[in-house]
Amino acid sequence: MRRREITLRVNGTTFTASAEPRKTLADFIREDCGLTGTHLGCEHGVCGACTILMNGQTVRSCLMFAVQAEGAELMTVEGLADGDRLHAIQQAYWDHHALQCGFCTPGFLMTTVEFLQDHPQPTEREIREGLAGNLCRCTGYQNIVKAVAAASQMVAADPHWVPRWASPEPPTAARASAGNGGTPTSRKRTTRSKPVKPSRSPRRRRPKR
Amino acid sequence: MKPAAFEYHTPRTVDEAVALLARYGEEGKVLAGGQSLVPLMNMRLARPANIIDINRIDALAYLRRERGVLRLGALTRQRAAERSPIIAQHCPILRDALRLVGHAQIRNRGTVGGSIAHADPAGELTAILLALDGEVTVRGPKRTRVIAAADLFVTYLTTSLDPHELLIEVRFPLPPEGAGWSWMEIARRHGDFALAGVGVVLAVRRGRIAEARIGLTGVGPTPVRAAQAERGLVGQPPSTALWAEAAEAVRGAVEPDGDIHASAEYRKHVAGVLTLRALQEAYERARKVA
Amino acid sequence: MKIDGTNTLPASVDTVWKTINDPEALRRCTPGLKELKAISPDNYAATLQIGIAAVKGTYAGTLRITDKQAPTHYRIILEGTGGAGFMKGEGTVDLEPQGDGTLLKWVGDIQIGGLIAGVGQRMLGGIGKMLIGQFFKCLEESLGSGS
Repeated sequence: MRRREITLRVNGTTFTASAEPRKTLADFIREDCGLTGTHLGCEHGVCGACTILMNGQTVRSCLMFAVQAEGAELMTVEGLADGDRLHAIQQAYWDHHALQCGFCTPGFLMTTVEFLQDHPQPTEREIREGLAGNLCRCTGYQNIVKAVAAASQMVAADPHWVPRWASPEPPTAARASAGNGGTPTSRKRTTRSKPVKPSRSPRRRRPKR
Repeated sequence: MKPAAFEYHTPRTVDEAVALLARYGEEGKVLAGGQSLVPLMNMRLARPANIIDINRIDALAYLRRERGVLRLGALTRQRAAERSPIIAQHCPILRDALRLVGHAQIRNRGTVGGSIAHADPAGELTAILLALDGEVTVRGPKRTRVIAAADLFVTYLTTSLDPHELLIEVRFPLPPEGAGWSWMEIARRHGDFALAGVGVVLAVRRGRIAEARIGLTGVGPTPVRAAQAERGLVGQPPSTALWAEAAEAVRGAVEPDGDIHASAEYRKHVAGVLTLRALQEAYERARKVA
Repeated sequence: MKIDGTNTLPASVDTVWKTINDPEALRRCTPGLKELKAISPDNYAATLQIGIAAVKGTYAGTLRITDKQAPTHYRIILEGTGGAGFMKGEGTVDLEPQGDGTLLKWVGDIQIGGLIAGVGQRMLGGIGKMLIGQFFKCLEESLGSGS
């Protein structure tokens, strides 16, 4: 089984690496892109911990092979916060104690990004059904539902709330054809689009004691 | 859990894909949405030596209405079909059923053709294809042929396609203008496989049922067409008693198996209950043509 | 999982009895049976390759026939282990004359475990019955052709 060179973009950064066709997209994101925010729960498409956005749509990255994402525009949980500034959706999860161990949370956040675009003013039932593809063993879901409801109100006030990596339009430059993935020199990682700021932003809150 | 190694092929055209299937036969497996195949591969319950990834065959992704028939290329994503204005207007039962296919993440990748070829005994699309007398076009190395829904589903996860054949198009004849519809299924959680599901289409003319279609899923190895129940409805004036009779006929027509999720008796019973409710809802939605 | 059924076979009780004890007939009619090697009388090593659609597994095990009461009754025990799981099936077969043919009554208890049982739970019962149905259909055909 020959390795293939794969080029894709995650949260605006281009990654090129070679992998066997059987390597799942989830593993590629974690190992070759070094982005371990995307988690592996069941690895058979049930728990949603591996949920990411591909070309603006949620997918279970454990059910895709990395080669299939050639040229795609991906978004993972690492693309939500702006440095230390939490995205409104993350803030809502934080405010409403919608995570305990946090293992399922990245998947829930990605699902929420798509869900709120499709349902800007969701009812509780719509939220429960919309999140049904993500499993949580800690919280019992109550606070996640509250967080999403709160997030829907927070983002309603901001027309630019959708992160740009969640765009449904893959940039044409990134649409390399299969097997012709990237530049002759295999780069592990290009420069980040934004330096990570260590300074504290006013929106970051301390956990309540 | 990681899949076993395989040779990976990315045909760009249907001909290329079919040539690969001809070459590898039973040692090759088509990869479309992957939402059913990849879990099996991750668990190593399926270890195909060759994966024929058809996702780059753009020619297979289309959705159009032509002379009273809905034509979907095999690679039409379930999510695209769910949101299609054509389907919403002309075949809303499909839209309602699609909303219950798994979850959004699954529908974003899963395809209509893949779902039909996979033939899950609790699938929604297979039951609707059967109820509407749909058909599929399959292409093999030597010929292209059409398979009617009634001849397509053989048993669990098995269709009458040869190992060398690729399903390329799915066709749903559209219900008559003004027909009422209803898709109802029951599952323990939203998005779970249906314990039982019923799709009903009813056309009403001059105060009587002019046409009735009833398709069921989750009640046997393949989807079930409740033909006897349908015959009992046609020509009759609608009434609660009529729906109850049809529900009884449906119960008699299904022999579901039990498992840890639901007993056979429960599935049989609930198939009848859903039929009754679906007939009610379909009738309410039907345009009453004088 | 308990299952049972009856089949009418177009042959006399004696002929049916001979057939269901014949390793050739068992080899031919048991779905997925790739190899049947006699270890001792009524005791065989079996290799099964069985599956549905893309899911295929190889199981190695034994097939034993016990409690023989010729020509009307025996117990058959089939066990196998493989990568995807394990299975153990035990059944009794009873024959009685019915007109010109034989009425075959079978009662079985099948246990399937391992990965395949967890994943395929909702189809196992149906698939099990289907495979047993294939077995008896094959028997019917070989008896009907007078072989």
